[in-house]
Amino acid sequence: MPAVVLGTDAFVSLAAAAAAALGMPHLPLVAVPHPLGGVAPARIRAKAEVVVDQVLAALTRDPAPPAPAARAVVAAPVEAPDDLDAFQAFALAEGWGDGLPVLPPTPARVARILGGRRGDEVVATLAPRRGVATLEAIAVNAALAGAGPEHLPVIAAAVRAVAEPRFNLNAIQTTTHPCTPLVIVNGPIAARLGVNAGANALGQGARANAVIGRALRLVLQNVGGARPGQEDRATQGHPGKYAYCLAEHEAASPWEPLHVERGFGAGESCVTVCGAEAPHNVNDHGSTTAGALLLALAGTLATPGHNNVYLGGEPLVILGPEHAQTFAASGWSKADLKRALWEGARVRLDRFGAENLARFAVIDPARFKDRPPDAEVAPCARPDDLMVVVAGGPGKHSAIVPTFGATRAVTVRVEE
Amino acid sequence: MKLVSPLARSQGGARALARRRPDLRGARVGVLDNSKPNADALLGRVAELLVERAGAGPVRVWRKPGSSRPATVIDEVVAHSDVVLTGSAD
Repeated sequence: MPAVVLGTDAFVSLAAAAAAALGMPHLPLVAVPHPLGGVAPARIRAKAEVVVDQVLAALTRDPAPPAPAARAVVAAPVEAPDDLDAFQAFALAEGWGDGLPVLPPTPARVARILGGRRGDEVVATLAPRRGVATLEAIAVNAALAGAGPEHLPVIAAAVRAVAEPRFNLNAIQTTTHPCTPLVIVNGPIAARLGVNAGANALGQGARANAVIGRALRLVLQNVGGARPGQEDRATQGHPGKYAYCLAEHEAASPWEPLHVERGFGAGESCVTVCGAEAPHNVNDHGSTTAGALLLALAGTLATPGHNNVYLGGEPLVILGPEHAQTFAASGWSKADLKRALWEGARVRLDRFGAENLARFAVIDPARFKDRPPDAEVAPCARPDDLMVVVAGGPGKHSAIVPTFGATRAVTVRVEE
Repeated sequence: MKLVSPLARSQGGARALARRRPDLRGARVGVLDNSKPNADALLGRVAELLVERAGAGPVRVWRKPGSSRPATVIDEVVAHSDVVLTGSAD
């Protein structure tokens, strides 16, 4: 079937990468001037006039077959500068890095990280490039990130998790939305590796959090092929795209931990990935009861600008341990909190603009179409879609973490 | 120093493209709207212009269930179209 793909000039690199990944690097692409969204109909019609001849040509002339050079890159030994500073420039020029210094993936370091495991085991195939994440490829990126052999099982588990179809990795990798996989570690491996679940769990300072999160990001970039500004089309991104990993503070939680809630044993080590925005703080130093504290959490979640409010999905709440204890002291279970938050974090439809309402009415008619301005929408489809974990140190802070929406969190066991 | 490249191989594979038509006279135009804002307006107008200027038609429009979701109607589009216009990203 002769087909032509249209997109804006700002996004042609993504369309070209998608076509190449599907084995069609010569698929005709026609670019119109960016943007299309938020543009009046008359200007859209004008843009159509500009490209119609190109579309006609693309449908009536056979494109030249692709050059052999357009075929897949094969991993091969690479000669790099010995000098560490020169190596940084080399790594960035090769597109290997994230801007921070990386460590050289020498064959010896990669072998040490693999620790006798079979490197050719295929862990996953990663979108958008359909890159083959063998355990060796993961180990090479772990070596770049500064990880050790002890971190590899968690990193590999996270790679396996993001490749599950319900995670929707292709969209997470290429969207303009600022999301990235947040890795939540549960079970005994968290303490064994020193994955920080306490004070500053989402901040700097713990090697395990840093290297696990960073290695996953480098795998997504180098194996999955989501290069910033090219296939990774994030408008702004967020700082967690360098590394976004924490452990749940299971000992400080009054409730069952996330992995148990999701069907695993308490003694099993698991990682959960969710396509997450940056955390937004909920400061509440005053409340002494669940009902009062809920107001701050619900008010922070009830905003018209995040994806979950119109796409659904699973917004995440990271409760500080002291806030979790406030809920528990009022006799609330985790399910009670989810139900109350889901009912309390409603957004009235008159808080959305008319154009957005019209768009959301097409996407989710049941919640947005032909409803009065004082009707309200919940932050996700059902209370149990809210994810709640406990992490952090002393203090009266929690975090709301909206997600990409068109994604489901995935929990997998860490295979050691 | 000698290093192992972190750029792993991709699954690869090459596909041939469908042969193009000599012209679009009487060609059924399928529009697969990727459901990004205004994609329907742009693709629909281009299809209209193909009808006006190249004698194509009729035009039929399908829509993806969401911009970040795969199309579920590919077989139907193929069955009812001779050429297809679609959108990628924004």
